[in-house]
Amino acid sequence: MPTDVVVTGMGCVSPLGLTVEANRQALWQGRDALNKARRFKSRYASLLYFGEVDQDDEVLLDRAGLSASEGHTRTDALAVLAFAQAVADARLSPAELADSSTALISASTVGGMCMTNQLYKDSNLQSDTQAFLESYSASAHAMQLVKRYGIKGLVDVINTACSSSANAIMNGVRLIRTGRARRVIVGGVDSLSKYTVNGFNSLQILSEEKCRPFDAQRKGLNLGEGAGFLVLELAELAGSRPVYAKLAGWGNANDAFHTSSMSDQATGVLRAMQMAVEEAGLIPAQIDYINAHGTGTLNNDQVELTGFASFFEKVPPFASTKSYVGHTLGAAGALEAIYSILALMHGEMYGSLNFETPIDGLGLHPLASSRQASLQYVMSNSYGFSGNCTSLIFEKA
Amino acid sequence: MYIYDALVISPQATFSEPEWMQQLRVLEGLKYQALEPDYSGSIKPAQLRRMGKALRMGVGCGAVLLENHGPVDGILIGTSEGGLEGCIQFLNQIVDYDEGTLTPTNFIQSTPNALAGQLALMSGCTAYNVTHVNRGLSFENALIDALMLFEEGKAGRLLVGSVEEISAYNFNIEWAAGNYKEEVLSNGELLNSGTRGTVAGEGAALFILDAEAHPGAVRVADVLTRTAPEAGEMQHLCEQLLRRNGLEAGEVDAVLLGVNGDAEGDAGYYQVAEACFSHSAWWAFKPWVGEYPTATGFALKMAFDALQGKEVPDEMVLRKGQGLAQTVLIYNHYKNFQHSLILLKREGAVNESSP
Repeated sequence: MPTDVVVTGMGCVSPLGLTVEANRQALWQGRDALNKARRFKSRYASLLYFGEVDQDDEVLLDRAGLSASEGHTRTDALAVLAFAQAVADARLSPAELADSSTALISASTVGGMCMTNQLYKDSNLQSDTQAFLESYSASAHAMQLVKRYGIKGLVDVINTACSSSANAIMNGVRLIRTGRARRVIVGGVDSLSKYTVNGFNSLQILSEEKCRPFDAQRKGLNLGEGAGFLVLELAELAGSRPVYAKLAGWGNANDAFHTSSMSDQATGVLRAMQMAVEEAGLIPAQIDYINAHGTGTLNNDQVELTGFASFFEKVPPFASTKSYVGHTLGAAGALEAIYSILALMHGEMYGSLNFETPIDGLGLHPLASSRQASLQYVMSNSYGFSGNCTSLIFEKA
Repeated sequence: MYIYDALVISPQATFSEPEWMQQLRVLEGLKYQALEPDYSGSIKPAQLRRMGKALRMGVGCGAVLLENHGPVDGILIGTSEGGLEGCIQFLNQIVDYDEGTLTPTNFIQSTPNALAGQLALMSGCTAYNVTHVNRGLSFENALIDALMLFEEGKAGRLLVGSVEEISAYNFNIEWAAGNYKEEVLSNGELLNSGTRGTVAGEGAALFILDAEAHPGAVRVADVLTRTAPEAGEMQHLCEQLLRRNGLEAGEVDAVLLGVNGDAEGDAGYYQVAEACFSHSAWWAFKPWVGEYPTATGFALKMAFDALQGKEVPDEMVLRKGQGLAQTVLIYNHYKNFQHSLILLKREGAVNESSP
């Protein structure tokens, strides 16, 4: 029998709130957190919609027990806040966290590059402070977590663009299944940054409206920010602690089509779902609900639905929670894993917002509003630039 | 997990010259720049023009390996920063033009996962694809990921590699942090400088790794990493690694040390080597490629060549050993924070043929 890997703790910070419960409430009530940016400084702040964690850097750093004068960034603060919740939720002791069988796999695409102006000064030798010289890497936040919690197990950080933290989760399970760890804290983080906002804007895929996943009139995505971490453990370690869900399947494939768009045939989308279903020992018809990637761009939604139509005889209810928080990039896979697990735990599906008209030729409607449902298996999809596609399947505990 | 083939672009003649260790290049200054080959055989000119150096070097090695030995069951890359030059050029434009209209090329080509994606795209590889970005352990994380895929029975052959480029910007940031030498030295003088700091390096090292051995194959037997070890802990980990691989310390013929000329950091290497491997040969590699977060990619190439019977020249030998190496351990750390051990063994006698 293969080893069972279970989820025993979750923590998140997102535009919907600073706790898992606040996130669940907003999802259930169909309340999005997409707005013009108030904290993020950019010429696009008032022009586009964002999923922003509505707190200043100082407040977040202070809550996380960090400080800018020591080179800590907003990304570090978001990561520490979500990580602390997850390990407290799983009731892990300091000794368990520092045990060499406890690993950490995080993910980020922007890392400390949210400090765009400071990075500009540092990289052009114009700065009067040395505080941030070690702060920019995608892995900088993970180094903060290692130092703070004395993590001695394997540490890894993944960047596969928008599927980064889905791959962190997948690799966490694999570490446990191959005996390299007994417990892994997995997740990801990203902050709003001029780097990504201008990058996505140069690709002309940012919407001036709230994003409308799967709608024929969709105009693009809204960038968001946040962090999510999950505690994965060997099932036998859970003891009397609550088990939220089981990791049933995972699949990672590449679309091998184009650096910034996906193939019409949905090659990578299909292969990732197929691998995940096979790993779980399921057939597609057993998937009860899909937390779709659903960015709201012309290309993604068309291709993802093409994949659904081909993979499922009858497409199960699907929705994009990016219609609540925007696209949080390196955090997206982890946040959406948490939302998928909340769905399993509470027997509820969260509706996709801002949908009106189905895409021509597909006729597929996302779930319009939240409702209760008996769920056994939930699939979560994440797709990134450079063709990176990952599907995860969570099973009711 | 066995190394079937390797292609490496580095400040040495690794890409074009099988006997590169016998013709080591003298390097000076603070930037040990890679000796780039003519890419025209492997990359189309229109594509090449748009690629930053990291992407170019990685594709220059990876495309040839995939052409010669593909298809593969996965592409795994370790890189701390990916195409940082392009990334910060894009950032500079954001600041200089106050977020005006920008072209997406720098943005798309500089994301760290661009190399793994590009290689998948060029070879039509829809299999497992990942990029590890854990700074000084990025390449080790890719190797561990590969070990897992083989153990899981998910792969027979993989492309695994590392890449890093010196950009003006990361050089400035490391320089401002005091991580480079203040004096001008040639690479031959680096390890005896007695001062703090090192020199910057870069390169791409890509490998075809197989589940099954071929005659005379070099096996990547084990990879162990540790972040922020306490004093004395690395010696303990070396002993643990030997034990779990059924080895006595005396059976490790050579240890390849990541010494880089930084007096304090180097002392740590010598301490571990003296305590655990006093009877082994000690080799150095960074004086020939400089320091960068994925320098162990180059170290793996050097160990691979040595285990296939290539002679390690005196310049790279810190302490002489006996006979040809059959078992080699790479010990590296990045900024004395991220430490790794990579154990390599040659299967069968060293005089057997290899591909």
